[in-house]
Amino acid sequence: MLQRSVPLLLVTTIAAFSVAPFLIHNAPYESTMGLVQKIFYFHAPAGIVMFLSAFVCGISSAIFLFRGRQGADRVAVAAAELTVLLGTIVLATGPLWARKAWGVWWQWDARLTSSLLLWMMFTACLLVRRYGGPGSDKLAAAVAIFGMFNVPFVYVSVNVWRTLHPKTTVVPMLGPGMREPFWFCILAFLSLYVLLLALRVRLAEQQATLDARYLELDDRASA
Amino acid sequence: MLKRVLRVLGLVLALTATSGIGAAAAQPSSPPSAAPPAATDGFVPVTDLPPVEQLPAAPLVLGAYAFIWVAVLVYVALLWRRLAAVQKDLDALTHTPPR
Repeated sequence: MLQRSVPLLLVTTIAAFSVAPFLIHNAPYESTMGLVQKIFYFHAPAGIVMFLSAFVCGISSAIFLFRGRQGADRVAVAAAELTVLLGTIVLATGPLWARKAWGVWWQWDARLTSSLLLWMMFTACLLVRRYGGPGSDKLAAAVAIFGMFNVPFVYVSVNVWRTLHPKTTVVPMLGPGMREPFWFCILAFLSLYVLLLALRVRLAEQQATLDARYLELDDRASA
Repeated sequence: MLKRVLRVLGLVLALTATSGIGAAAAQPSSPPSAAPPAATDGFVPVTDLPPVEQLPAAPLVLGAYAFIWVAVLVYVALLWRRLAAVQKDLDALTHTPPR
């Protein structure tokens, strides 16, 4: 199902990311921050899809860990990679916005630090899987579950602790003219996410087929 | 050997401690100031700053969007390469005659 929708997703994603710059360009300037606030239209959707990806990874990892389903493990590794990619985007674009809006590149406040920790957890998950040796897939799955439980803390951190970062109420209170491009960018990032997830899962499936063929050849040779 | 190492370590510790005490003693004793420094009194409106100190937003916005595009395209290119490599190996195995 996911694999069959790849051509449609590809067309949707290219179309969405071609239209998005025009919508962002036509969106009104924010009263205090001006032009630099336009980073928001890709920064926030990337962050929201990163949270979704962390949940996809955590839930798939739990299914793999407790039910032993290999398909879930392939989805988990794909989602972990995409969480790291989206996290990199969020952590790189945020400081560019902060430099103008706050006067500093980085602030060790609750939202920024917890986001960095989330990114580090999923990077650790990939590193464990890559270099951990036999059984590391299960260890990586456990790390991913912990990463998923970190997401609600990252989300509410701006409301609970004093921080420079805008609160979660920013999105529901977006003014007319800003709301439409923002939700459009969310859909564009969702489309990109599902497309990349489908491609990465396909790669994992092909790698599994290749491993199975090698084992089959070894068995034939030793028989 | 161990005794010598311990002696050197002790000497280093003693020197560090004395230099720390010395530095602390050399600090001039300033009376506690009642008012906080002027910089913490409030924010400076950005319009009052000279043009030299105003950071242009356009390079930051362009930098952010360029980074996103580059990151996504690099990931897609790597994914494409890995898919092609695995497919090539699979094709080679399919054409391998059984031993």
